[in-house]
Amino acid sequence: MIKWLLGKKSQEPSKAHSFIIDELKEQIKSELKAGSDLTFRTLKKDKQELVFCFMDSLVNKPSLDDFIIAPIQKNTQMEWTCEAIAQLLPISDLSAVNQLNEVVTGIIEGKVYIYVEGHPYGLQADVSKTVERGIEKAETESLVYGPKIAFTESLIGNINIIRHNLNDLNLCMEDLTVGTRSKSKVKLIYIKDIAAEEHVNGFRDKINQLEIDHVAGATVLGQLIENNSWTVFPQLVTTELPDRVTIALMRGKVVVLMDRSPDALYGPTPFFTFFESTEDVYMRWNMGLALRFLRLQAAFLSVLLTPAYVAVLTFHYEVIPSALLVSLGRSRANVPFPPVFEALLLEFFIELLREAGARLPTKVGQTMGIVGGIVIGQAAVDAGFTSNILIIIIALSALGSFTTPSYLMGTAIRMVRFPIILLAGIWGGIGIMIAFCFFIIHLLKLDTMGGSYLSPVYPLRWKDLGYSFFRVPTQYLSKRPITNHPMDVQRFSAQKAKKKDVDD
Amino acid sequence: MKVNLHPKESLLFNAFQLIFIIHSVQVGVGVVGLPKIVFLEAKHDAWIAVFFAGVLTSVILWFIIMMLRQYDSADLYGIHVDVFGKWLGNLLSFGYMIYLTACFFVIFMNYTEIVQVWIFPNLPTWQLAFILILLAVYAVHGGIRVIVGVSFLSVMGTLWIILVLFVPLRYADFTHIFPIMNVDIKHMLKGIQRTSLSIMGFELIMFVYPFVKEKHRTLLYVQIGNLFTTFTYTLVTFISIVFFAEDGLRKVIWPVISMLKIVRLPNLERFEFIAVSFWMLVILPNLCLYLWASSKGFSRIIKRTQKMGIWIIAIVAFGASFFIKARYQMNIVTDLIAKAGFYAAFCYPVVLSIIVYLKKWLLRRKKSHVKST
Repeated sequence: MIKWLLGKKSQEPSKAHSFIIDELKEQIKSELKAGSDLTFRTLKKDKQELVFCFMDSLVNKPSLDDFIIAPIQKNTQMEWTCEAIAQLLPISDLSAVNQLNEVVTGIIEGKVYIYVEGHPYGLQADVSKTVERGIEKAETESLVYGPKIAFTESLIGNINIIRHNLNDLNLCMEDLTVGTRSKSKVKLIYIKDIAAEEHVNGFRDKINQLEIDHVAGATVLGQLIENNSWTVFPQLVTTELPDRVTIALMRGKVVVLMDRSPDALYGPTPFFTFFESTEDVYMRWNMGLALRFLRLQAAFLSVLLTPAYVAVLTFHYEVIPSALLVSLGRSRANVPFPPVFEALLLEFFIELLREAGARLPTKVGQTMGIVGGIVIGQAAVDAGFTSNILIIIIALSALGSFTTPSYLMGTAIRMVRFPIILLAGIWGGIGIMIAFCFFIIHLLKLDTMGGSYLSPVYPLRWKDLGYSFFRVPTQYLSKRPITNHPMDVQRFSAQKAKKKDVDD
Repeated sequence: MKVNLHPKESLLFNAFQLIFIIHSVQVGVGVVGLPKIVFLEAKHDAWIAVFFAGVLTSVILWFIIMMLRQYDSADLYGIHVDVFGKWLGNLLSFGYMIYLTACFFVIFMNYTEIVQVWIFPNLPTWQLAFILILLAVYAVHGGIRVIVGVSFLSVMGTLWIILVLFVPLRYADFTHIFPIMNVDIKHMLKGIQRTSLSIMGFELIMFVYPFVKEKHRTLLYVQIGNLFTTFTYTLVTFISIVFFAEDGLRKVIWPVISMLKIVRLPNLERFEFIAVSFWMLVILPNLCLYLWASSKGFSRIIKRTQKMGIWIIAIVAFGASFFIKARYQMNIVTDLIAKAGFYAAFCYPVVLSIIVYLKKWLLRRKKSHVKST
């Protein structure tokens, strides 16, 4: 239906604007419903009349004054023609246009339209300014070790950072636009002789096929081009770390940057990519390996611990050794609720704390953490709402979910816990296994840009395990991960890296 | 109907995965009761009987692969039509579909029974049956790739249970196995036959074969998978024999679960609760593969969608679960399927492969006759 409607809409015929200044002003005003933002400045000399059309809020006033208006006013001898003015202006981005829609688009982008009455075309000069914040430290993916620089909302700035990181001649950037109304700029970035063509084409086709009025940012773009939109698991990584993007590019992934969005989107990213941190790469390999395992275990326990508590205390007391059972029983003695209710209550409470902490300013947030964590936690135990042991377990699983480097995946892990707790409350250990089996099947069904989501574990790619599941010393990683189907597989020659014999 | 099935390139999987498919589809609910069943016939030489059953299976697998190699890329449904013609062939295929569905049924019903005995005595059968069928349906909807993934992850995720089985060895009395090989041949053969319920499942290679990428390496990986199963079964039976006293093994129904009772960690006891829950992951690939293979018949024989087949089989199996009310009924059904399995998985493929051989041989002779005259 929508496509049928879109098919009927014919392209507006392009036409030249009026050559009379007053009419030109009217035409631009009627096209652009900008109000007082739209400014016209007219100059007169002899019988010639010249107009500058621009958006007040979008141009850089000092450069407009100094580099466009001042030279024209000072050169009194010169006759006003487009060629002469073009010769005169010290502006790098200058073009001649006469189509009304081009003029209007230029004005929206922050260009100045200079037109001398009666001439067949005018000049468009770029003196736009964009408001942007300075480069700051990464906030959502904070690091102890490694580069701290983060992307900002400026596309040009972000590209600048990537280009400086990677001086590869084959670093390729394609321009795309997204949003039928907002027309946001999107850059598709990949290394031409590494990234697989199928992935580049996949990204390009999917972004081009989008028929939506507006895309709010790279994260939303990611949601729109993912294959399965029903699942809780993100299938593409968004990151604000340029070095993470650089590493991904060198491994053969494809990156998408969007204007006014501080996140880069890249893929294909299987499940275990979400547990990788750039710190694993910067650390010595053995520590990186240990930390990565810690993180995977934390995520696993975070999902499993509370449901296990519920299952054991509701149905399978026998599983706990008697010594431990005594202390458990004592701590639960004055709790009047069934374990499911108790666990759900406390999980809900922790989620509230987290959400409130994220919304509040930093200083208040800290106070709230203390109030929530210590005061209410202790009070809840004293009041007989929960047991001490559950508080420990809940705290452990909350901590575990925060160790995941990707905020999206961490949230997914926390949300997944609730149905599993419910299942554990209904069917005990069997319920947990039902959920476990379901998630295995579910993860197997997902894909990321057409590739398997559980790669490199399934399908088993032995050599890729060193990149994503384990972290092995660099001399064993002479090949790029096969999961990305890189065109140029070799990173360095394994032959040269071979060890020498004794006394060589 | 076409004899050969040529799936899309993207649906093919590496022959290497056959190890996991064969192993995971063989190991299922049968293994938890296997030592006792075989022990009743072959006494203390039960582990030798199990080992011979594995060797026999490997011979049968050789027959099956030789038969499949006569064709380009055919499954059992196609071979039936090629050998017996449209009507008789499809009738046989239909019979095999019923056998596969019955296996599907027996697997989830037996698991439900184990859960009812060990964990939840009051759990209604239909509840767990419903969930298990839904899980299988969800997986089979993903197609062969997802099912292969399930069997791979299931094997990888349950390997550790074998290690846990070494704990009972601390209490083992190795004199139980002596004297070795003094059971007469009749009981030994009976013991081998009793293994059939646990060791069957390998016949599904006849349905999976068209989806294998490197077909010439099928035999190797299938044999490795079977070898691994044989090893596991022999080990389990051996440990049960040395762990239990003779009368003890007669009395328990599921010796493997009973053995796990004594496993003890600092924070966990009564390990069988975890093992029984975890067993769901072991039977999941069985459910998926049987459901997939029998629903494949719908698209192969009667030109309907496989999706419809999945739902029909699921509803029929769920409906059938209401007819089983007591343990003795389930026993009868299981014994029946074990017998049917002995004929359908062990005897029939051998007979069929001989027929295929004869047919191909006759055809070749005819051709050479035509050429020479």
